[in-house]
Amino acid sequence: MDPIKIEASERSPEIDFDFAANRYVVRGESYPEDVSAFYGDVLDKLEEHLDGVSDGDVEFTFELIYFNSSTAKVLMSLFETLDECAENGATVKVIWKYDEDDDNMLELGEEFAEDLEHASFELKEIPVE
Amino acid sequence: MTGQTVNGMVASELSSLRSTMQDKGVMFCFSGFMTESILTGIASAVRQKLEVEDADRKTVMGLFSIFVELVQNVIRYSAEKDGVEEGDKLIDLRYGVITVGRRDDSYFVSCGNMISNKDVDRLSTGLQKILELDRDGLKALYKEVLKGPTPETSKGAGVGFIEIARRAPNGFEYGFEKVDDERTFFAVRAHL
Repeated sequence: MDPIKIEASERSPEIDFDFAANRYVVRGESYPEDVSAFYGDVLDKLEEHLDGVSDGDVEFTFELIYFNSSTAKVLMSLFETLDECAENGATVKVIWKYDEDDDNMLELGEEFAEDLEHASFELKEIPVE
Repeated sequence: MTGQTVNGMVASELSSLRSTMQDKGVMFCFSGFMTESILTGIASAVRQKLEVEDADRKTVMGLFSIFVELVQNVIRYSAEKDGVEEGDKLIDLRYGVITVGRRDDSYFVSCGNMISNKDVDRLSTGLQKILELDRDGLKALYKEVLKGPTPETSKGAGVGFIEIARRAPNGFEYGFEKVDDERTFFAVRAHL
């Protein structure tokens, strides 16, 4: 599948999906006008691709500054997709980056991670100058 | 030339509106038809203003987040609306009032809009349930709703008020005022 690269906007994050390398990044702010319109197609493609992955390494990095509640629902379903991929045999690593002074983003990452049973989870603090 | 060009009422009317707002600690106020671009514009100005005031990150992002959820609620659900079809796209405008301010070192966001009378009970029950929960209860409900199916009447996740409760360390209040046989004015105020 061709890689997907979408630049960040004021209200939507950068998307960088490299299907061949199984490296995925979502970075920035997320409160799009229409969550389904922004994420629908991209995540359908990801799900379709990951359905066929049952070995090797998969790495998904979240580096979010802010996301609204509609995005939270998308993230929850994305975590489920990643965990299923790990259950099917791939080595899935979820990386959650957050600014060191952002306790809220840290807590949200931990909350989403609670439900991972097969994928591994790593918190990464980004130092703030 | 017809009409007056200098009219003291012009200044006094708006000056009195501004004073009323200032007395209540209001820093931002918008009353009118809301669109997504109004949301983006005001929300980023609110964020900048708080950063200038050196509010801590949790407060800045909490207030920003509550603002976004409340305005998106108005845009999705306000029963006072206007719209035009532009090509095959419907431009949907929804009326609401939102204020952001500070009183006694505590920030607040207030938001109000019309809803249908028939929605009052459902909304009231939902909000009461949220208000009775402690932090762990809110977290559990948040995750339950995130995992559940999206209700058909919802264009979003139906999780906005839980988000607001979690982001408002000093809680939120709400109220209803019946307007006529069809509509009720609904308002909520969150405290940070």
